[in-house]
Amino acid sequence: MTQILGGAVSTITSLNSRLPRNKSVDKVLGEIKLSESLREYLSKMPDLDLDLLLEAYRKPLPTSFRVNTLKMDEHEVLEMLKEKGVSFEKIPWARYGYVVEDEPIDLGKTVEHMLGLIYIQAPISMVPVEVLNPKPGEKVLDLCAAPGSKSTQIAQLLDGLGVLVANDVSFDRVKALASNLQRFGVLNVIITLMDGRKFPRFARECFDKVLVDAPCSSLGIVSKNWGIARSWNLELAKRLNRLQRQLIIAGFDCLKPGGELVYATCTLTVEENEMVVQYLLERRENAVLKEIDLPSLKYRCGIAEWDGMKLDERLRKTIRIMPYDNWAEGFYVAKVLKEGGS
Amino acid sequence: MKLLSPRERRFLENRLRSLYGVEACFNDLVLIKCGRRRIRAATKETMELASRLRGVQQVGLYVMKISNGDISLSVEGSQLLDGEIKDNVIELDEEQVERWMKAIPIKTEKTYRGRYVVGKFNHLYLGSARVSRNGLLYPQIPKWRRIHS
Repeated sequence: MTQILGGAVSTITSLNSRLPRNKSVDKVLGEIKLSESLREYLSKMPDLDLDLLLEAYRKPLPTSFRVNTLKMDEHEVLEMLKEKGVSFEKIPWARYGYVVEDEPIDLGKTVEHMLGLIYIQAPISMVPVEVLNPKPGEKVLDLCAAPGSKSTQIAQLLDGLGVLVANDVSFDRVKALASNLQRFGVLNVIITLMDGRKFPRFARECFDKVLVDAPCSSLGIVSKNWGIARSWNLELAKRLNRLQRQLIIAGFDCLKPGGELVYATCTLTVEENEMVVQYLLERRENAVLKEIDLPSLKYRCGIAEWDGMKLDERLRKTIRIMPYDNWAEGFYVAKVLKEGGS
Repeated sequence: MKLLSPRERRFLENRLRSLYGVEACFNDLVLIKCGRRRIRAATKETMELASRLRGVQQVGLYVMKISNGDISLSVEGSQLLDGEIKDNVIELDEEQVERWMKAIPIKTEKTYRGRYVVGKFNHLYLGSARVSRNGLLYPQIPKWRRIHS
């Protein structure tokens, strides 16, 4: 049975009641179509409420943002937004994160956004970096970095000390990544264009922290694009699984002993989540799963039994966030320690 | 990507002093030449790590462009220099800031030394604008970060 984790439920309820309000999501936007294979796949998932999932898919994601404390004091930026009539509430699980309650203007067209005083980022997308928890002075690798939401979040937590390496495999996506890091004002960043799977060839045991926010079938963000649910098939998940397994191994090999890796996807399939982490645990003896504790976020533990198959019990330490848990995106997050450090 | 030589760095510091009144600039940072005219800034530690990696596309922040001895500061370049910029600054009101971020020319009555001025709103710097002979300022906001009407 899936267990609901996370504390401060009253805070969640209060936040949840506000999250979707800004986009008048109570009106039904139409009927969402799931591919046959997706419907069949989801029906096998333990403790998944398909009706609630479809309801979450129908609702647009709430608008949320992070204040860029590299450029200006948090309070000052919030005052500037308030003067423009924007009202917002703190996101309890993300430092500097706010969800918009009332948005009289398009935040993406404000001077604050263009100057990099705020960064528009979905609320659950802030979770992986909070779990990674980079500290000033550390060397951090973001292996699949574009378009840069999580890279800018890492840079913010490094606070100008240490180095962030933001890598992506696509030239076009690297351009977007570079623009976002420039606008955010990050001095201590290196942008690389490389197949992430090849990174250990040049940077083995080089980093204190690694984020592998792997490409995935995106079932956690269907509300952004309903086409994902129509075109999903198991073959896609299996194909991505092969890439994800190579990426997580590459990321782990780039870690110094004692370093920590966070693996994250915005999808729900076991093939792209637990099975990828299990592959790492099988291939690297010094990989140890760590507990994740995020107060005020509603989530459930990872799946350790799937389709008649027993998976590693330790996978229960990873977390699954369903789109209807917080009425935002769905995510999977695992935190791995590389043993051997002092 | 090449580091600025001490001589090039001195030249840059002198130009920043004479154009913008900047006394101390980018002290703890390394300055990197990108192409013929663009300068980026990064921390020393960042540059050291970059020299060990492959596939490096960019290091640090784009801070300025040099053209014929004049210096156009990027938004982030002017924000890095922050309180150091004393001359060739134009204080903007809220309406002008909107125009600035849309890269719409702004009329000015004042005359400025050099071809570029730096925009400022409250205590936030907004990069450079080119000064034209007809008294218009052309904000140098790159297309990708302009506010579209």
